[in-house]
Amino acid sequence: MENNLPRRREAAGLSQGELAEAVGVTRQTINAIERERYDPSLELAFKLAAHFECHIEDIFQPEENND
Amino acid sequence: MFDNIVSETGDPGRARRLYYRSVYAIVTVSIVGLLAGMATGRELIGTSIYCVGVWLGGGISFLAPKLTDVPLQDERDTDLYNRASGLTLGVLFVGGLSVIPVIYVLEAARRIETPPEVNGAIFLASGLFLMWGVSYGIVKRR
Repeated sequence: MENNLPRRREAAGLSQGELAEAVGVTRQTINAIERERYDPSLELAFKLAAHFECHIEDIFQPEENND
Repeated sequence: MFDNIVSETGDPGRARRLYYRSVYAIVTVSIVGLLAGMATGRELIGTSIYCVGVWLGGGISFLAPKLTDVPLQDERDTDLYNRASGLTLGVLFVGGLSVIPVIYVLEAARRIETPPEVNGAIFLASGLFLMWGVSYGIVKRR
C-alpha cells in the first residue's frame, strides 16, 4: 500500500511522535507506515484520515502493480 | 508509573523502552537463575526464581498495557508477534513433517534407535501443534 503520510504529516508540522500520540500508536508504527513496511488496520487508517480531515483513499492508495 | 514518565518527560518512547527492558530483564534473570540452579545443584532455588520471574514478567507484559494510557504495545507489535509465531510454527511444521516420519520408519525397520531426548522433542512438537489446533478453533469461533 502506497501512502502520502510523510507529506501530510510534515505539512501539518507534526513529528512522527506527535502524530503517533494523536492517534494512539507508537512512533515506530508511524515510521513503519511511512516507509511502507506496515499496512495499518482499518481502524488506524480511519483515525489517520480523521486526524487529517480527509478520506482514507486520500492518504492510502493500492500499489499500481498489484493485480 | 508509565503515565508519570510521560507527563514528566513528554516522551512516550521512554515509557515504552522502560516497559520492554523491565520485562526482558526479569525474564533474563529468571532464565539465568534456573540455569545457575541446575549448574550448582540448587534446582529448587533455580526453579523458584524461574517461576517467580516468568510469572512476574508475563504479568507485567500482559497487565501494564491495560493499566496505562501510554501506547506500550500497538497493532504493529501484535502483527509482528503473529508473523513471528506463524513463521516459527511453519518452520517447525515443515521440519517435523520431513523428519518425524523418516525417524519412525527407520526405527520400525531397526535401522536406527531413537534416544529418549528425540522422542521427547517429538512429543513436545506434537503437543505444540495440538495446542495450536485448539487455539485456532477457539479463535475462529470468537
